[in-house]
Amino acid sequence: MKKNVTALQKGLNTGITLGVVMVFLSLTAFTVVLANIIGDSYRPTPVTYGFVIALFGFFGGLMASSKRGLPNDDWKNVLTSSAAAGLIGGVILAVPLAVLGSIHLNGTDLRNYLVMVSPDVMETYLFGIGLLPAILITVIIFAAGAILGGAFNKGAARAEWRARWMANSQEKIRSAWQAPRVQQVVAGRYSKLFFMVGALLLLFLMPFVWGSYWNYVMGTVGLYILLGLGMNIIVGLSGQLVLGYVAFFAIGAYAMGLLSSPEPLGIQLGFWPALLASILVAALTGILLGLPILNLRGDYLAIVTLGFGEIIRILIKSDSLTWFTGGPKGLRAIAQPAIFGLKFNSDVNFMHLILVGVLVGVFIAYRLQYSRTGRAWLSVQGDQTVSRATGVNTYQYKILALALGAAFAGIGGAIFASRNQFTGPEDHVLMVSINVLCLVIVGGMGSLPGVILGSFVLKGIPELLRDLTDYRLLVFGVLLVVMMIVRPEGLWPTRRPKLEKQHLSKYDPDNDEASSEEVSA
Amino acid sequence: MKTNQMLEVKDLHVYYGAIHALKGISFHLNEGEIVALIGTNGAGKSTTLNSVSGLLTPQPGQLFFGGKEITNTPPQDVVKMGIVQVPEGRKIFARMTVRENLEMGAYVFNDRDHIEADVQHAFEMFPRLRERQKQLGGTLSGGEQQMLAMARALMTRPRLLLMDEPSMGLAPILVEQVFEIIQEINSKGTTVLLVEQNAQMALSIADRAYVLETGKIVLEGTGQELLTNPQVKEAYLGG
Repeated sequence: MKKNVTALQKGLNTGITLGVVMVFLSLTAFTVVLANIIGDSYRPTPVTYGFVIALFGFFGGLMASSKRGLPNDDWKNVLTSSAAAGLIGGVILAVPLAVLGSIHLNGTDLRNYLVMVSPDVMETYLFGIGLLPAILITVIIFAAGAILGGAFNKGAARAEWRARWMANSQEKIRSAWQAPRVQQVVAGRYSKLFFMVGALLLLFLMPFVWGSYWNYVMGTVGLYILLGLGMNIIVGLSGQLVLGYVAFFAIGAYAMGLLSSPEPLGIQLGFWPALLASILVAALTGILLGLPILNLRGDYLAIVTLGFGEIIRILIKSDSLTWFTGGPKGLRAIAQPAIFGLKFNSDVNFMHLILVGVLVGVFIAYRLQYSRTGRAWLSVQGDQTVSRATGVNTYQYKILALALGAAFAGIGGAIFASRNQFTGPEDHVLMVSINVLCLVIVGGMGSLPGVILGSFVLKGIPELLRDLTDYRLLVFGVLLVVMMIVRPEGLWPTRRPKLEKQHLSKYDPDNDEASSEEVSA
Repeated sequence: MKTNQMLEVKDLHVYYGAIHALKGISFHLNEGEIVALIGTNGAGKSTTLNSVSGLLTPQPGQLFFGGKEITNTPPQDVVKMGIVQVPEGRKIFARMTVRENLEMGAYVFNDRDHIEADVQHAFEMFPRLRERQKQLGGTLSGGEQQMLAMARALMTRPRLLLMDEPSMGLAPILVEQVFEIIQEINSKGTTVLLVEQNAQMALSIADRAYVLETGKIVLEGTGQELLTNPQVKEAYLGG
């Protein structure tokens, strides 16, 4: 936004944007769903719907009164901007309301044209009080919400007392932390061990407590952490954009299935030998894929590996290979783990198995990343030619990254197949690769905590949003976009991007020539 | 001047697809020398360096280093033998810190104490890098990046240093500094093969030099001889 717009202009801009968004959300009846969630009922009431409108107005007010773009943030500007936003947003929302409202009152069912706008929804929009008063009320509530938002932003959020309160509480926390008794415990000889044992114990007790649904969800998150760890080695460390990652997952799952299921091969190894075989087969596939693509970089590598992922899925599905892969029907009755003859197949057991897998995986990935090998991968990512010139065998390290990344996917696939006792071609679609790549990017390329956080965000948050029913993915998409705008380097970036920022701000331009092109590259 | 040959290049050809980039060049370096390869764009200077360091495979041609044939040796083994290249265009690892860049240079070694001593030595030679050791390579200025690239190459304790266009894109005062450092490195016993477009600077510090023209060596002589050679004067030194 330009620096020198007036408060009124900023308000109008914000209002128009918000109004259009509101029209869209109303036409898809999203506002009604929100009203239902707030009212905790299946039918919206005028009160809950009004509250939703006011809430959106409030956010509009917050946006319109933000410091950026305002000439200055005195009360006059803040109120002008937020009031303008509220009014224009309300008016824009009122236009379709007027049109649709009159059609609705003529007795036409709007669902013929707009699937989501049922007569019930329309009644909610009209507050059950006729067209003109409803339009007035909508605009008034929206504008009031916006003004309140602006006032809140100026009066409460930005005021000095808030800053003082923040500083105060920070100071309190710090002094509590530095209190001798606390420090004694923290720095104590066994406390680190104690905390770690405590955390582990908690992790292992949780699956008993939170029930099978959460075991399923968290198990999926855990499997995606494993996949993410592997992907992070390939993309985040060695810098090879491999899009067909799901192929390794599929090969792990199918190795587990084919070696342990009674059909179609009837080998029926137990779970543990099959798991070992899955890891080895997946790693071997990584090496085999690595050989032909060694000299490909960037876009070309992405396209070739994308094709590889699809080839594997189509082969699995193909009729001519049904005798070997089970074809479209997939594999059934895949073995589940047992220890000393003790069956090990409840959801709690699997959650524990995945937990162990994740802990071991994180440990291995951590050791690799901060070793000589990790440094070599980073150099390959940085500049392959220089890397070779400093004596790194780049071919060897690129293949090693693929093999290890594939092995992680193999473990994930094997456990996944065993947990479901089934695997079929539809488990191994392109979306899996994209999800894993997304979680690595959202978490922060090359960052281990980022992988864990990214898995929770990508596979956990959609579960928390179940209340939103059909709108779940819409909201999730918006969240992802917002996240990448707010934190483009990822949720938990490695220290490198931070270093870059820090030193750029410190950089003094009167030294030789600046080298900004290298920085942005 | 010592006369034992360190590097010998025999009838080196390189093709890029259908393009015959090097048409059978032969030259040698004696231990302790600075030898310059000068020539215009596309003469094959960088190709020659990349062949020596193993980044390119000559077809056909033979390379000998200290009497041992290194013709098809992969670059990582060439580095271990003591030949190290400072690539063209100040190629450093932009997203590693200065110190990490230096440590990458010592990649072929495993001995921590020794590496740390080398890092300190590099800092003594390039004090500016010590100040900036925690800074990302990409945030350095052009001159500092060239220094870093050279310091990183020295971390491999080379016997033969291959310098590709060290003056490229640098201000004249920095070019002079860089060439002083090359002479300093050479005086401590490292042989230098220098590829340059800046013929004036290169010839003034070189013991011997070769002039490369479209893949062939057309002239050779000591640095001083070539500096005064009328042909070279006209083509490379601006009359």
